Amino acid sequence: MRALPWAYLIAAFVFIYLPVGALVLFSFQAGGLPVPPFEGPSLRWYAEITGDRDLMEALGNSLLVALGSSFVAVVLGFLAAYGLARHVLPGSALIRGLLIAPLTVSYLIVGLGLLIVLTRTGVGLSLVTAGIGHVVINLPLAFAIIYASMGAQQQNAERAARDLGAGEAQVIWLVTVPMLAPAIAAAFFLSVTLSWDEFIIAFLLTRFDVTLPVEIWSLLRSGLSPRLNAIGSLVFLVSVTVVLILEILIFRRKS
Amino acid sequence: MSRDTARGWGFVAPALLWTLAFFVVPFVVMGAMSLATLERREVVWGLSLANYAELAEKAYLWRAVLVSLEITLTVTVVSVVLAYPLAWIIAFRVPKRWQRLALLLAILPFWTSYVVRSYAWLLVLAREGVVNQTLMNIGLIAEPITLANTRFATITGFVHFFVMLLTLTIYANLVQLSPNYRRAAMDLGANAFQTFRHVILPLTLPGIVTGAFLTFVLCIGDYVTPQILGGNTELTVPQVIMVQLGRRADFPLAAALAIVLMGIVTMAYLACARWLRLDRI
Amino acid sequence: MTRLPALLLCSTALTATAAAAQEELNALVWCDHTDPALIEPFEQAHNVKVNLREYEGTGAALALLDQSRPGDWDVLVIDGIDVFRAVEAGILAPLDGVSTEDFFPEVVMAENNSVDGVMYAVTEKFGYNTISYNADKVDPADMESLATAWSDKYQGRISIYDYYLPVMGLAAIAGGIPTAEIGADDMEAIGGTLSAMRGNAASVAGVVAAQTALATGEVDIVVGGGEWLTAVLAGDQPNLTWTIPAEGAVRWAQSIGVVAGTEKPDLAKEFVKYIVSPEGQARLATSSCFWGMPANAKAGEFLTDEQKAVLRWDNQPDYLARTQLYPAPDADLDVEMQDLWLETLQQ
Repeated sequence: MRALPWAYLIAAFVFIYLPVGALVLFSFQAGGLPVPPFEGPSLRWYAEITGDRDLMEALGNSLLVALGSSFVAVVLGFLAAYGLARHVLPGSALIRGLLIAPLTVSYLIVGLGLLIVLTRTGVGLSLVTAGIGHVVINLPLAFAIIYASMGAQQQNAERAARDLGAGEAQVIWLVTVPMLAPAIAAAFFLSVTLSWDEFIIAFLLTRFDVTLPVEIWSLLRSGLSPRLNAIGSLVFLVSVTVVLILEILIFRRKS
Repeated sequence: MSRDTARGWGFVAPALLWTLAFFVVPFVVMGAMSLATLERREVVWGLSLANYAELAEKAYLWRAVLVSLEITLTVTVVSVVLAYPLAWIIAFRVPKRWQRLALLLAILPFWTSYVVRSYAWLLVLAREGVVNQTLMNIGLIAEPITLANTRFATITGFVHFFVMLLTLTIYANLVQLSPNYRRAAMDLGANAFQTFRHVILPLTLPGIVTGAFLTFVLCIGDYVTPQILGGNTELTVPQVIMVQLGRRADFPLAAALAIVLMGIVTMAYLACARWLRLDRI
Repeated sequence: MTRLPALLLCSTALTATAAAAQEELNALVWCDHTDPALIEPFEQAHNVKVNLREYEGTGAALALLDQSRPGDWDVLVIDGIDVFRAVEAGILAPLDGVSTEDFFPEVVMAENNSVDGVMYAVTEKFGYNTISYNADKVDPADMESLATAWSDKYQGRISIYDYYLPVMGLAAIAGGIPTAEIGADDMEAIGGTLSAMRGNAASVAGVVAAQTALATGEVDIVVGGGEWLTAVLAGDQPNLTWTIPAEGAVRWAQSIGVVAGTEKPDLAKEFVKYIVSPEGQARLATSSCFWGMPANAKAGEFLTDEQKAVLRWDNQPDYLARTQLYPAPDADLDVEMQDLWLETLQQ
């Protein structure tokens, strides 16, 4: 009986790592197909993808859209959270509901709605329109996370600062933002993760320059190849490195 | 309007305007689009229910709604049932100093590309893939079984993703519980199961429901996983929407399908509204 | 933390303006045109940047073009059978001065590429939707007839290619209906064949899913497959092959033309000329996304013997004689065919 939880833990980890393991293993496939048998380690597919101009451009585009849209989402989310938590507004429950609402809507619907409006108003599709879509889906999360962490503790510090003669902008910049830094960082990080990996909105709302998931989707349509494994493994490696660095930094600071 | 209120509006306005312009307006236009019709590739605006009627008439359309619902409900239930024990074990069995590491390990594959992850499952579940080979090696099956390109494959791909997501949210809920509740229940003579059933479960229910609702929303609207793994032998609503967009450019019908999808999510929302804490994620 | 994104945004704005200085050509294409080996020689020769957007399905492309401003797009690659739809919608500009002299005569398809005697596009690449199979697992003799290729004998070992037109074309051919004459009355017969096919199929698959299924032994037959499906697999698994059965099969062809309203008509025409030149044709035929026969027979001089063998260069006269273009339904019939297709998938 005592071993049962551990057996479950191991089984769960096997399940969670099964696709990742297969993905990484066959990214080193020497042959031309990412299916058994494994023909021995080779780095040829990694060489091929790092030499692929489109793929590397898409990688850069994804980074840009993720950072840009998350930045906007976090700024807007923070301002709204501050406004709602520190000022008396009529219908504040309704405003909160409206800001959270996109969270309850599928990405496909957000993308489809924007596609219909943008194409009919003559706004051309680009990385910017994809970024706009990503702000729509990330704003509710950023708002919710930051709003939830706005407590009485910061309010006292803000009041003290104001009593000492600080203007509202100063209070926000010098007191509220630093005190909420963990929540703001968390919101930013979550936004970046979601935007980085988002497919359908980027697929519907981009034109020539596409993000990585869209480029991978095109690759996926163009034929079975270990290239897909290599690009997937590479993304995993890079993301995991970033996650681990953040984890270590935050973890160290806490302890 | 007091000065304080005016300033408050100033802070809220950017986010509010963004949401209005890029979420509410598109949504309303999409609603209007669902009432338009397509005539010789031209969208004719109007107040027609033809698209919704078509949905009721054409079997492949309403069947897509059923398929989507069946898959999404299965995925939600299975994911919660699998994730809860995992979160529990990490929260209460794994020693404190290893908990963060265990949790991180449990969600790390979250950072492989979403599209690639579905593709990876295709390879794992293939006839000569890892799963079939393992099952044959340990003698559970004599012949490889068809796993890829089935509903089972779609569900597996989804469950993999959502188990990670739910483990994180449920874990966060479990560790917030004061150990005193468990101790008190034990002191009053409850056994482990009773403690769970009458104390822990009710206390973590809002967290579970919120996670399950997000699972429902993300799952029912997803195109990638069923498209890559499902073998197209049955289509979900997002797949049918993409067919309307890609092959026919039938925006009105696609919009009507999206509105139906939205209706289902709203019903799910109302069903679990009691426990939902969306602004407290 | 806040400065970095701002900086990045600024730098993109800057690079965006820098890129605008160079002349650009915007092309709406199929995925085989995105291969740098095909595009870069043209970019260098004309000092131009070619922006490419892939699309799936003529409907999507026409909608996109309808909603664009004139001048947004310069070149369009489109299904050969749909050229007339694009012309009707006023999307293609007349195309003159592009020679088809060296083309395989069967694929010039003047009747498809012109409307009222005015040429709007030229064929650039073609191939077949037929039967791909694993020669080690099925009896190759069975693959020589559509009647046996998807019969009950191979239940659960078949995948159907996920595009309604060629597969329904094959179903029509199996029933003795010429693809050019498919009408609303034939839907019942085609639906019956499709239903039988679906009953024996394990999946309905896109390109990668079909290739994975073939390569891993998930299925042994792909209905609607062809050289474009198995050419990339043949190197590792030579047992994966394709054939054109006795009844014949469906031929696909893609055309290229200049978009009406382009601000760079000459450059756009140069691009079309490059694509149908022997060198461009050889690169297009063996492009990374999928292989297919070049329309220009002179491309043969730029292809290696191995490449020609994979394309089955020498069999073309026979194949061309025995295959029919895939169905080109009008708008109403198209909707009916799609509905029937989706209905059958979901059964």
